Formats: sequence, structure tokens, C-alpha cells
Amino acid sequence: MENLHVDALVLGGGIAGMQAALDLADQGFQVALLEREPSIGGKMITLSKVFPTLDCCSCITTPKMSAVAHHPNIHLLTYCEMQSVAETGSGFRLAVVQKPRYVDVNKCTGCRKCEYECPVTLPSPFDRGLGAYRAIRVPFSTAVPQTAVLDIENCILCGKCEKVCAAGAVDFTQRAETFEIQATTLVVASGFELTPLNAKKEYGGETLQNVIDPLMMERFLAPTGPYGRVLRPGDGKEPTSIAYVQCAGSRDQTLGVEYCSRVCCMYAIKQAMLISGALPMADITIYYMDIRTFGKGYEQFYQNAQAMGVEFVRGKVAAIREDDEQNPVVKVELTEEGRIIERTFDLVVLSLGMVPTAGADGILSLPLGEDKFIAIPAPNANPCETARPGIFVTGTAMGPMDIVDSIITAGSVASAASAYIREHQKETAYA
Amino acid sequence: MSEAKTNPPSRGELLKQLREEHASSVERTQVLFREQRSLQQSICQMIRETPKTVPEIAAAIGKPSHEVLWFLAGLRKYGIVVEAGMCGDYPLYQKVEEK
Amino acid sequence: MPDKQKAARKAASPDKEEVRVGVYTCHCGGNISHVVQCERVAKALGKMPDVVVARTDPSFCSDAGQAIIEQDIQELGINRVVIGACAPSLHEQTFRNTVTRAGLNPYLYHHVGIREQDSWVHDGDPEGATEKAVRLMAAGLAKARLLTPLEPIRLGAEKGALVIGGGVAGLRAALDIAHQGIRVTLVEKSPFLGGRMAQLESIFPTDEEPRQLLHALIEQAAAHPSITILTGAEVTAVSGYVGNFNLQVTQHERGLSEELAEALLAACEQEAPDNFNYGLTRRKVVYRPYPGCYPSTPAVDWEHYDGRPIQVDGKAVVLKDKPQVHALTVGAIVLATGFNPYEPRQGEYGYGEITEVVTLPQLIRILAQVPQGEPLIWNGHPVRDVALIHCVGSREIEGVHTPQDDGQVNNYCSRVCCTASLHTALELRRRFPEINLYELYQDIRTYGRGHEEIYNQAQSAMVHFLRYRGEKQPEVAAAPPGDTHPALVRVVDTLTYGEEIEVPVDLVVLAVGMMPSPIDALVDMLKVSRGNDRFLLEVHPKLRPVEMAVRGIVLAGTAQGPMNIQESLSAASAAAAKVAALLGQGRVELPPFVARVDESKCDGTGACVEACQEEGAIALQTFQENGHEVRRAVVTPANCTGCGACVGVCPKRAIDVQAWTLAQYEAMVDALAMDIPAFAEAEK
Repeated sequence: MENLHVDALVLGGGIAGMQAALDLADQGFQVALLEREPSIGGKMITLSKVFPTLDCCSCITTPKMSAVAHHPNIHLLTYCEMQSVAETGSGFRLAVVQKPRYVDVNKCTGCRKCEYECPVTLPSPFDRGLGAYRAIRVPFSTAVPQTAVLDIENCILCGKCEKVCAAGAVDFTQRAETFEIQATTLVVASGFELTPLNAKKEYGGETLQNVIDPLMMERFLAPTGPYGRVLRPGDGKEPTSIAYVQCAGSRDQTLGVEYCSRVCCMYAIKQAMLISGALPMADITIYYMDIRTFGKGYEQFYQNAQAMGVEFVRGKVAAIREDDEQNPVVKVELTEEGRIIERTFDLVVLSLGMVPTAGADGILSLPLGEDKFIAIPAPNANPCETARPGIFVTGTAMGPMDIVDSIITAGSVASAASAYIREHQKETAYA
Repeated sequence: MSEAKTNPPSRGELLKQLREEHASSVERTQVLFREQRSLQQSICQMIRETPKTVPEIAAAIGKPSHEVLWFLAGLRKYGIVVEAGMCGDYPLYQKVEEK
Repeated sequence: MPDKQKAARKAASPDKEEVRVGVYTCHCGGNISHVVQCERVAKALGKMPDVVVARTDPSFCSDAGQAIIEQDIQELGINRVVIGACAPSLHEQTFRNTVTRAGLNPYLYHHVGIREQDSWVHDGDPEGATEKAVRLMAAGLAKARLLTPLEPIRLGAEKGALVIGGGVAGLRAALDIAHQGIRVTLVEKSPFLGGRMAQLESIFPTDEEPRQLLHALIEQAAAHPSITILTGAEVTAVSGYVGNFNLQVTQHERGLSEELAEALLAACEQEAPDNFNYGLTRRKVVYRPYPGCYPSTPAVDWEHYDGRPIQVDGKAVVLKDKPQVHALTVGAIVLATGFNPYEPRQGEYGYGEITEVVTLPQLIRILAQVPQGEPLIWNGHPVRDVALIHCVGSREIEGVHTPQDDGQVNNYCSRVCCTASLHTALELRRRFPEINLYELYQDIRTYGRGHEEIYNQAQSAMVHFLRYRGEKQPEVAAAPPGDTHPALVRVVDTLTYGEEIEVPVDLVVLAVGMMPSPIDALVDMLKVSRGNDRFLLEVHPKLRPVEMAVRGIVLAGTAQGPMNIQESLSAASAAAAKVAALLGQGRVELPPFVARVDESKCDGTGACVEACQEEGAIALQTFQENGHEVRRAVVTPANCTGCGACVGVCPKRAIDVQAWTLAQYEAMVDALAMDIPAFAEAEK
């Protein structure tokens, strides 16, 4: 790997990172985009359809992924891990490790013959572990780059992939390589994780097969999902009654997540609408404290869902257990009626919240807020500036937000970072 | 880096090194692979002639339903198994005929 | 491969170009394929003349999907591309880039919308939708056969931008654009900068002083050599297009010379309602809204000044407004026109009828005038009980709420009011610990970073929460004479299982939502669109969230929809990034879909010139030809919008819009109306 010298280095290739890279590159800056997974796309590329327009998610994300890959000012670096950062007079110097794919990216055509040949089947994180892929695979159908990657930790070294590859791309001699990136400014777009499915033990997440997280439901609703339809993972039954438990990982002091995760109301409503389309006979109930449909067009979306027959029940879910047929039984306090009931569903979705992805902030020694997201010292003056000069932040690394807001903050960070680059490069030119 | 030129290791050496480094994970994965193969074979055997639902297959081979569903998801993805109608609320799965 | 040989042949004789069409039917990740049977469409199209290849894909817009098209162009010699997918507004440009990368002219591609125009509107009729898709695609194919290579119109772009609105969003956008080396003119309608933010006293969640933050921005903007600030000014005429907008800005006279200003301010006696305090107080017609405002020179309230002389140093000074007109040329326009607080109807929750009913923005101004440590007195009575009602002018339900004068109900959430009223409740609690506080709400929407804490604090601070349902609003009534309190609030509270609760209060505060500023004239001049909520409408919330459909016009802040200050800043910076990218190169490209005159047919009737709606788009010119003078129409492409008005009136069929010619339309209509059996047959 050759060392790189760029104006801006964007850390993270999810929607916020991609948009920030594009907005910087469109202004003529040289940008490196660093992603630790083998493909860019982040969480967004795993979604089905997106609110409030119900566009197919892939139709919004994949063209941006493609634009990143083809942009003359963007150096796309996938499957790379940041090791260390040093401040230099003119910006930052990063040591980066290119992890071995055991596949030559210049030769691989993405034909997936190796994947079909590979004998080892593994749970696919793209499908939240509910679908499968092979030890060598193209991570998902719309991955960028369209290049296979071999998981050496789960490989039996049988060599079948190497034999079947017409391009001669499989290369077991690859090793991790370290290289250096110099950048005037850094943009952190390290994204979020869901609060753990089992964080609230009384909800049975991870113990009960038919209590799932919302990203699993996204995969069921996506045309490329693991089952090609909505089934409950416990036994492959098409669910006819589905409950959503709102604030299952947010606004909860016992979890240390006191904040609102902003997206859960909308994704639950959206999924309810999509399920109604896929399974017209299904009953869908959403248990909530407050419905927070605050974005542009969101309140109308909520009203549409009510008109479609999605049932909104104000209630606090106390616990979830399972009956003899794997059906989750929800114990809920109906706060508008003052009584506690139990109701049986085929499937329960816990509307989990957002917590920050760990990692980037530590290497960059960025101070965090009480909510553990990267601290923004002056949100009402410089909403994308971290406590360290020259390091900016965008998307869900700065707190929970939806895609629309992530894209706006990406544009915003592009402005802030480019002003910094111009100012800083002018200064160092005279220095 | 030292200035003295050392010959880069040969392909054979690199492969050997890889095998040594990953000896334990290869062993572990081989066990996994054998289990997977036998399970997949018994699932496919079950649904070669008549399509079946996940609970039917699970009961027949004595494995939890969710595991069977996971295998079927993989088999379906790689074109080995297809959906073949519904039985009540459960889709039926069938092995694709080999050419 | 025979196809490869054909491709090679084609390359050998480019002058006799054989039409080779690739037809691509996209599943759109299920959006299309759930209704339209894409494989059947591909099969039917594949049998039509000139079609070399007809494919389907889960999403052609993905990198892998685009690669298929590129490969076909390069390996099969495809020279016309037809893609059936989403609306062209989403991905037409994506695919133009794809074919360009493969070496084909980008205008040899035609996009057929089979999602918005087919699958989304024929849900439940797969057969009909599939047939319609075949017809639409066949029409696209018919057009594609007649496509010719075109070049975009390349024009120099003025490296300057106009920002309309001098509130926080406009200021932020102006600064960010100026930082990228682009000239900015900032136009503010009122005589002072700062907008709505200046009327606040404390910003959540940081409790910062808003005017301090604003002034940091204003100082930078005022000092920036590339920024020109025009206050008391409005855009009064617009022409041109991206890269070259020509604008007329009319600016009111400040009215006061620097030397006389202070003396006039002191001597002025005439008063008018003080808008800064939402009409709760009065101020002079020569005024400063608040100390430290910018510009610091007082202004004249021309709307209310009655023209009487003001006595200064024994002289009678009559102030005269002589509006000045500025002409500007800019490459891009930023709309940062902001919002107005919703003004409740007369009688809505007693507003305008019961003097104890005020809006939240008014309360903030009232509190600003009560010295710290002193009690809150309203209408001469100490305030003991305050009710804050949420969602006034927001989340309105058709059939439940009384529509506004224009028939609209505000069915949107205004995003900021929940946190703003809780934040204000906390201030009331802090300053007047004895007051009882009641929040009447539907859902508490403290969504932002640090906002939920404000809600938690309010709960700990003994603020009483009463939850009503949207269809059963609270009622406000004047209390009977002799009652302990002047007003009563009645609410059916779902938190106490539907109990009807009556709260006697001294003050009712309506947490009013946001309405877009009244900018009808500007919207008409710029030909931009508004959404159903009447806020300005972006092209697409994710693909082009700050751009308007008119190229070169971008959105910043609450002109687009309710947002808080932090969000307005982000949106403004995002808008600035788009302007910087657009104008950074000093040139812009416009699509070549403009009128073109066929010289051999034009005989200068001039019908087209009369029909043309655009200034300077088409004109008659005299040419010398074989010693004769001939008159012909000549198009100025940069001014033509491609509306086609000229095409319709030309008696000679001598004029066409490029890429949308009459011949192409005729071919499309023929294809649309083809026999149904053609579809059935093709399937065999």
C-alpha cells in the first residue's frame, strides 16, 4: 500500500461518511474514505425501505456507494483499520492497517463462484446472523467494492475457492499491510450500534427466538432478506400478530441510556406499514410512551399508519415470556386504563435504541458527552466541531439521528471541514 | 527496516506459515464443517421428494426449529432449496432437483 | 461471439450507425417487481426490433447493476440505452454518468418511469401493470431509436451567491460560502440582522445567550471582505438561471444619517407596536429593537411612521423613504427566509379574548422584561398558576381543528415546541419557585441531544403533566367573576384514565408551532415549489435535501420546515457546501433540452417569438443567403427552458426541443398504442 496525502480523511463509510466524502470531493478536495468492513454502505444498506418516502433503501444508498467508488477525488479504502494518530504541524498522520482479503481486488470480478464452491456456511452479519453466507463471499449483493473476502478465522484452507476462480484472484499469501495517511483534517463518521438485544433481561431478547431487533425485521422486509419474506426466526412461521415495544433501549435510566434515540418511533411505524403490505392479515400493535414523529412529513406518516389500522397503545411493557408454542407473551401496563394485561403475539420487535460505535473516539482521544457520543462543545455555534481542533464529526457518531438528519450533518461537516482546510493550508503555507 | 536485502518468503513458505498460524481455527472449523455437512444432508434428504415445513423437518431430524430455518435460509440462498407453497402459516421447502 | 463481431463492425463504420439498444428493467428492490413482472417485460422488449439485449436486475442503480450496463455498452456495442426504473428525478443523472463512463454520449439514454407511473399506482393489478410497463418501455425504445448525441450547454458561472434572510441560517450560510472564496450578498428584509433567534433569551440545551452567539456570527459576517450586507432590503425581480441569476434588490432608506441618528431616536415621540416583543409593548417609530443590534444605527419603522416632523436641535426633520434599487448577478441563491410563530385564531384557546392567554414566544419576551428576583405579575395580579398547552397550530387533524383562512390545517409537528416549553417551564420554576406549572401535551417530543434531560428535570421540578388526545383538545375559559383565578383550563387527562380536570390559572401559554414566513412573491419570482405544509420543498429528503428543483437555488433553515437552532446551522452549512461545489469551478452545465431551429424549414413567421415565455430565448434574425435577405428564428440556448411553446405554434414544424422532438413523440405514441396482441405474441 502506498502512503497517501489528502485534504480530508473520513472515518467510516456509512451514509454520513459517504455523503461527507462526496460533499468534500465535489468541492475539489482530495478525500480518503476509510471503512473497516469489506464494503461501504454502513447500516443504511441493510435497510428495506426508508421513511417517510418509502423509497427502496438500496435505490438511495447504492448510487451514493457507486458515486464514492467512481469519484476522481475520493480514495476508497475498505477493510482498513486505523491504528494510531499523530498530530503533525500540518494536520494528522495516521497509521492504517489494510487487512488481508486473501483476494486480489484488482483481479476479482465479483462473480461469486468461490462463494458457491466454499463448503463452510456462517451466519451473515448483514442479515443480523439470521441468514447465511460462506467463509469466502462477496459480503452482500450490492457491496462496493464487488470483491470477495475470505474469513481466514473460519476457513478450512481446502483451496476450492482458489481452484474455481477463473481470474486467479484468490491469494492465500496476502498479509496485513500497514501504511500511512496524512490528512489536514479528520471527519469522524463512525456511526452507531443498536443497544444490545438482551440489555433488558425481562424482555427475553436473545433467549426467546421470536423476540427480535428492528434491523432483523429490516432484513425480513428487504427483497434480499434471509427468508425472502417475513417469517419469525424461531420456527419459520408467517406471523399474524406482531408487537412493537417502543423505548426498549432508550429513555431508560436502568440501561444508562437516558436519551431518546429519535428513530425508533418512525422505523416502527414504517415497518408496521411495510408488514401490513407484505402480510395484509397481520395485526400490528405498537406499545409506546410518546410517539415522536417530529421530522418533515413524519406526523402525516404516523396518521397514515393509524388510518391503515396499525394499533397504537400507550403502555409500559413490563416483561415478555414465551408460551409452549414459542409465542411471546407480553405483559403490559395500559397506562391510559390503569390495568395490566397479558397478550400473546407471534413475534415481538424490541424497538432498540442507538449507542455509539466504540473505537474511533479512543484512538483519536476525543472527549465524550455524558451519553457516550462524541462531545460537541458548542452545538449552537459549531454543530460539527469536536473538542479537538481539526477533527469534525457527523452522523450518528454525534448522537442518535435518522438518515435525513445524518445527510444534513454530512453536508454541514463538509462546509466546516473545508473552511478549516482552506484556513489551515493557508497558514501552514506561510509557516 | 534494515537495508540488507532479504529474499521475500516463497509462496510455499507463506502457505505453510498460514497453516501453522491458523492450525487451531482450521481444526475448529473442520469440526463445524462436518456437522454442517451432515445436518444439511439430512435436511436435504428429508425434502428431496416432498416439501416440508420447518417444524416438520426439525421434529424429524431432532434439531431446534430456529437452527433448521437458518440452514434452510443458507440452502435457499445458494439455490439448493426452494420454497414450494405454504402449509397453513408455514412455508414449505423443497430440495432443487440436481441436473 | 457474434455480438462482439457486430460491435467490431459497428466500430469500423461509424458513419452508418446501426441502432443497437440495450433495455434494462429494474426491480427497484421490489418496488417495481412486487407488481410488475419484470422478467416478462424484459422478454417482450427483447423481441422488439433493434433490441440487442434486455435484462433485469434487483437494482440497476447499484454499482454492480451499473457495471452490467457498462459492460454491455463496451462488449455488445450497445449504442442506445433504455432503463425502466424509478422516476427520472431520482436516477436519470446516475445512469447518464454510467453510460458516459462506458464511452457513450449521455443523451443516448432514455429513462422510463415504471415505479411512480406504474407499479406504485397499479398495486393489485400485476397483469395490467406488466402490460403497461411493456407499453411504456416500448415507447421509450421507440424514442431511443431516434436519439442523437447531444452536448450540455456549458456556461460561465458568476462566483457569487445571494443569501435571502439574515437570521441564524442565512448568516451561517453566508459565512460558510464566503469561506470558500465566493462573494456573498446577504439580503435581510427587516432593518436589523438576527431574525427570530434574537428574540430568545436562552437556548436549550446549553442555556447559552442567543444574542451573544448571533453577534459572534454577525461580527464575522460584517467583517468578511467577501460579504455585502443589505438590510431593509427585498428581492423585487429575478431573471436568469443557475450560474447567472440577475436580481433586483430594493432597499429602504435607513432614513437617518449617522450624526443625527441618536438625536432623532431621543426626540422621536411617535410610537408603534414593538414587533420584537410580539406587540406586547410599544416602541418609538425610530428604533433599535434591542441594545447591541446590528446595524447599530437606529432604523425608521416606515410602515408606522406618520410623516410628521421630528424636532431636533430646533429643526423639524421629516424622514423620507427613498428606496434604492441594486442590480446583482449571482450564480446561486440561498433561501433562508425563516419562519413565523403560528398566530392563533381569535378565540383559539381564548387567545385575543382572554387577556391571560399568551403565546410561548410572547411569554419569553414577557419574562425578559421581569427583572431577576422580582415576582411575575400579569394584568396586575401575581401569577400563581400557569398552564402551558402544547401543539397549538401543530399536529392539527382534518375535521377536528378549524382550518385557517386558506383552508389549511397544520398537520405537521413543529419539532421545537416541546423542548422549548419544558425549557421555559424550568426557567419559571427557577425564577418563581412558588408557581404551579401544568404542561398539557399529547406526546412529549424531547428528541434531541440533551433534550430528554430537560424533560426529566421538569418532572423532578414538580411540573404537572396532563396528557390530552388530539381529537379532544383542552378548553380555556374566563373564570366567573369573583373566582380565585381569572381563567380556567379544562382537560380530559389520559394519565388519570380520562378524568376531566379543571385547572384554575393566572396565565395560559400556548406553545405555538412554526409557519413559513410569508414569501409568496419570492416563491412566484423564483418559480420554486412548496410542499403541502407550505414550507419550501426540497428535491428529495435524502438524495438532494437542501436543493430545490430549480437548479442553483438551495434551502437553509426553517424556510424548509421546523428546526431548532442547531439543526438550522447544520442545514445552512449543508446548503453552503452545495453552493461551493456548484460555483467553485466558475462554470455550470445546463441540460441541452432546449429549442433548436431547423434552418432548412424556418421561414421566419415569428410565431415562435410571440409564443415564447422566456426573455431573450428566441428572436428573429436577418441573414444574407444567395443575395437574398432571409429571416429566421435563432435560439439563445442559455435562456431557453425547453418548454416547447414555440414547437406547438410553428406552422412549418421547423422547431423542436432537443431530445424531445416531435418525431420522437410520434414514435412514442405509436408504440404506446400498439396492438395488445403484440404483447401476447411476444411472450410466446
